[in-house]
Order: sequence, then structure tokens, then C-alpha cells
Amino acid sequence: MSTPADSAEATGERDSAAATADPDAPVGPPPAPSTEPEPPAEKEPAGSSIAFTLTLVLLVALALFGRRIFSGLFTDDGVRTWATMFVGVTVQAMPFLVLGVLLSAALTAFVPPSFFAKALPKHPALAVPVASASGVILPGCECASVPVSAALMNRGVTPAAAIAFLLSAPAINPVVLASTAVAFPGQPKVVVARLICSLAVSMVLGWLWLLTGKGSSWLKMPKNRHAEGTAKLEVFRSSMLHDFLHAGGFLVVGAAAAATLNVVVPRSWLDHVASNLLLSVLVLGVLAVLLAICSEADAFVAASLTQFSLTARLAFMVVGPVVDVKLIALQTGTFGPKFAVRFAPATFVVAILFSLLVGWWLL
Amino acid sequence: MRRNVAGLVVVFVGAAVMQLAISNTYLRYVKPGMRWMLLAAGAILIVLAVADVLADTRKKPGEHQADDGHGHGHLLPRAAWLLVIPIFALLVVDPPALGADAAQRQSPVAAKPAVPKGNSFLGESTAGAAPVPLAVRDYAVWAVWEKESMKGRNFQLTGFVTPGKNGTWYVSRIGLTCCVADGTAFMVEARGQTAPPKNQWVTVTGEWAEPTKRADGDVAALTVTGVQNVTPPANQYE
Repeated sequence: MSTPADSAEATGERDSAAATADPDAPVGPPPAPSTEPEPPAEKEPAGSSIAFTLTLVLLVALALFGRRIFSGLFTDDGVRTWATMFVGVTVQAMPFLVLGVLLSAALTAFVPPSFFAKALPKHPALAVPVASASGVILPGCECASVPVSAALMNRGVTPAAAIAFLLSAPAINPVVLASTAVAFPGQPKVVVARLICSLAVSMVLGWLWLLTGKGSSWLKMPKNRHAEGTAKLEVFRSSMLHDFLHAGGFLVVGAAAAATLNVVVPRSWLDHVASNLLLSVLVLGVLAVLLAICSEADAFVAASLTQFSLTARLAFMVVGPVVDVKLIALQTGTFGPKFAVRFAPATFVVAILFSLLVGWWLL
Repeated sequence: MRRNVAGLVVVFVGAAVMQLAISNTYLRYVKPGMRWMLLAAGAILIVLAVADVLADTRKKPGEHQADDGHGHGHLLPRAAWLLVIPIFALLVVDPPALGADAAQRQSPVAAKPAVPKGNSFLGESTAGAAPVPLAVRDYAVWAVWEKESMKGRNFQLTGFVTPGKNGTWYVSRIGLTCCVADGTAFMVEARGQTAPPKNQWVTVTGEWAEPTKRADGDVAALTVTGVQNVTPPANQYE
């Protein structure tokens, strides 16, 4: 089989690049001239490539016969529960991911870098609190904030401020605060504690980046993929497609991890640690990382963990939106693994410390 | 991943999301309120992919070459192939709503509500009255924490069967706040009848019974007098 390719695609450079980037692409000699000669009027250069056809056939075949071919293979109850969790986490995150990549593509394409230069204080240390506070405007869960903060870095916002926004947006937006108030009726101090704690965590990590991360190479700066002069709509479209595919792929990894932990970790082990304050704060922090519950729903889960103190439940709600398995996967994809291995533990430690502090002060 | 393949994968993801929302299958995975969000997300993805493929096709070969210089086309991320996995899971495994297996992984003990939901509508009438239909999640809490108002009354519960240890079984429902990741099991021990098959949906009637004591708390119970097999409701969660 050969790749029916047009004259432009048949260049050696294009083909080798495609082969490394695409596992399904035929590796080997440059494609022979097309076996199905296209009429000269046909202007679909890529529409008939072999990878396209194979993918299409595979997906359609799965849709039509998948259930019959694999029937009997996935009947185990545990496997089916896992599949439900996996699909559930992915489906739930999908609208927020689409919102996130839509906003990030709009930022990249339509908002000039000069806007952020004017909107944020010149000094990075002052830009951090402003960015933290502006997290209030993005009403989504954590999946939406990763592509948006990558776009902010892309537009010349200092990484410290973008990090502060990344951490605060999923925790302090109005939807999350409202659902927290509903989950803890008659206890407005929980909402206040969550707001203060999450703001503090995001600012501290922004400043921590200024102190330690500046100039180091482990943050993979999101590339500005589009040279000047490209049409804005074209930039919007292709960066949205790119961001969606990239973040979507990593979201799937995160959803698989969350589903596995949800099924494997029995919730009964929680009951043995509820009495010790320090231990219970740590345990609920770890639980928040493992379960990867959407920040708009985590307050309800926290409210149901009645055997724990309010401080421990605050830790659950502060840690969840800033670090969990789904987010770690997304951050690894967007900012690089070297960043994620440092950032996730640092965030976890700071979030736990502030939960203890704010819990001791307010709750 | 090539640009046209990427477009194809995105169209399939969008179509899968829209199909879930249209066919009500989404109720197995997320709360009902997310329907319009799923429809919007699916539609945006399909429009995006179609627009991208159309724009890509309209280009002349020469432009295409220059376009690659900017880095799309062959640079689309390989991670995108992972998006095929959830589609595979949906099409092949056809994951059911959470049921007895998920409930068995949780404790049947109902947590004490922070602010109890009132059950004063039950009123004063007691013996001989027709069974009151209640949500399993309400009964599981009230039977333990509002004992006095529940004593001597008849109730009707609908849920799936979760087998317990030593022949005990529970009428159970899963409560969702956002998606299945936060699913919480509500379970009521059914006494006096032999257990129907695991995951069978039943409507049971019976009288309140003294909760079962466990190490981690009390479990709501019902002395069951009638068990009727029913078809699962459209939204299996409470």
C-alpha cells in the first residue's frame, strides 16, 4: 500500500516528519506516486491519506461491530465499574475542556500581548495577586484553567502570574463558591475559609516560582506556534484544535488514573484515621489527589465526610482543585514532565499547610 | 498526527458526546443538568473539525507547504490518539450506570446530615396507612437519624439489589452531585425476604425496622413484606 499523496505532501521532509509524529503513518521509503491518480481539479491534498482512511475504517467498524466482536470480554463487574468511572470522568470534563481551549485560543488569536502588559502590574511580584484574584472570572473546573494559563504565558504574561491564575481559577470562581455554600448550609465560614485558603495557596506558589523557578529550564514554555501575519481566524482555529487534541489526550490519561484509584482504593480505610487531626488532613488531601473530583462538586463530597473535622474537609476542598491525578496529567502534557514533578508536590505541601493554618484560625 | 486524521478524531469525539446527550445515555455518567453543556461541547468540536478540514482543503498545494513551516499539520500532538480510548470504551464496553459493584465498594452506613432535610410531611397518620414512597437516600438517613418519626410506618423504596454478607441484601441507589467519580451509595438493609439477583431493580414495601449496628455506624433497615421486580428508571441515580 502506498500513500496517495499530492505533489506537496510527497516531499521527503514532510513525510519523515509525519512518520515520527504519527504512529499509524507508514514508515519507510517515501511514498510512491499515487495509485489512484486524482483529477487535476481535485483540491483535496490530504483528504485521501492512508492514515485517514485507516482511522475512519477502524472507528466506523468499532461503532458497527465493536460490541459483537468483544462481547464476553468485558463482563467482569469490576472492569465495567472502572469503564463507567473512566467514561464518566472524561465526559464530565469534556465541556470544561472545550470551554478552556476555546478561551485559550481566543486569547492567543484576538487579545494582543499589549493588553496583558497594561492589565497587570509591571512588577511580577505584584502581578501575582492580581492574577490570583482574576481567577474569579473563569467559571469552570480545573480542566479549563490549564489551557487558559498556557495561553496567558504564550501572550507574554509572566509565568508566576499565569501559575497563580491556574491555581486560583478552579477554586474561587462563583460556581464553586456557590456550590460550597449549598453543600455546607448555615456555615458561611467554610466558604470564606475556602476562598482565603485557595487565594493564599495560589499567590504563594506564584511567588515561589519567582524565587526558585525563574530562569530555570524545567518549565516547557508553551510555544507561540503562529508567526505574525497569519490570519486571526486561522490562528484561532488551529490553536484550538491543537490545544484540544493535546489536553484531551492527557485528560484521558488522568481520567484512567482517577477511575483506577476510585475502584481500587476502598473508602473504608478512611474511617481509621479520622480522629487524628494532622493525619486526617493529610489523608483527605491525598484522597482529593486520588479521586480527582471536579471542583464544582467536591464540596458535596467533603460535606458527606462527616466523620472528619472541618479543617480536614477544608484540606480536601483546597487540594482538589490545585492538584489531582487528572490535573497532573494535564500539566505534564502542557508544561512538561519536569515541571509537573516539582510543581505538584510543592502545591500539595503548600495547600496542606494553609489548610491547617486557615482551619485553625477560622473553623 | 496528520491534520485530517486529527479532524476525524475530533469529529468522532464530538459526535460521541452529542450522541450521549441526545440518547439520554449521558445519564449513566453525569448529572442531568449537564445535558446542554454536552450538546454545546459536541457541536463546537464538530464545527471546529469541519472548519479546519475545509480550510485546509481549500489551500493550494504551495500554500500548504508554507503552512507547514509554521508548524501545524504534522506537528499535531500524538497524545490525541488517546482520545480514541474513551470512544472505544463507549462503543465496545458500553459501560452501565453504577450499580451493585460500586455500592459494595462503599460502606452502607448513612452519614449524619449537617442540616437534616425535614420529613414533617409524613404527618401524624400511622398504622394501616398506605406505604409512603420515599427516595432511598432520604430513607437511609431518616431511618437512622429521625427514628421517632419513622417508627411503625410503612414505606415504599425503589432501587437495585446489592448483596451483602451472610445472605443479607440492600435496596440501594447511587447519589450523584456532578459525575460518577463522586457517586455515593445509599443502602437500606432489606429484612425478611430472600435476596433477588444482584443488580435486579425492585420496588419494596415494608415497615421501618431498628437499624443494624456496625463498627462504623448504623445501617438503615426495612422489614420487607412485598418485593416487586421493576424496570430501571431513565435516571438511575438520585
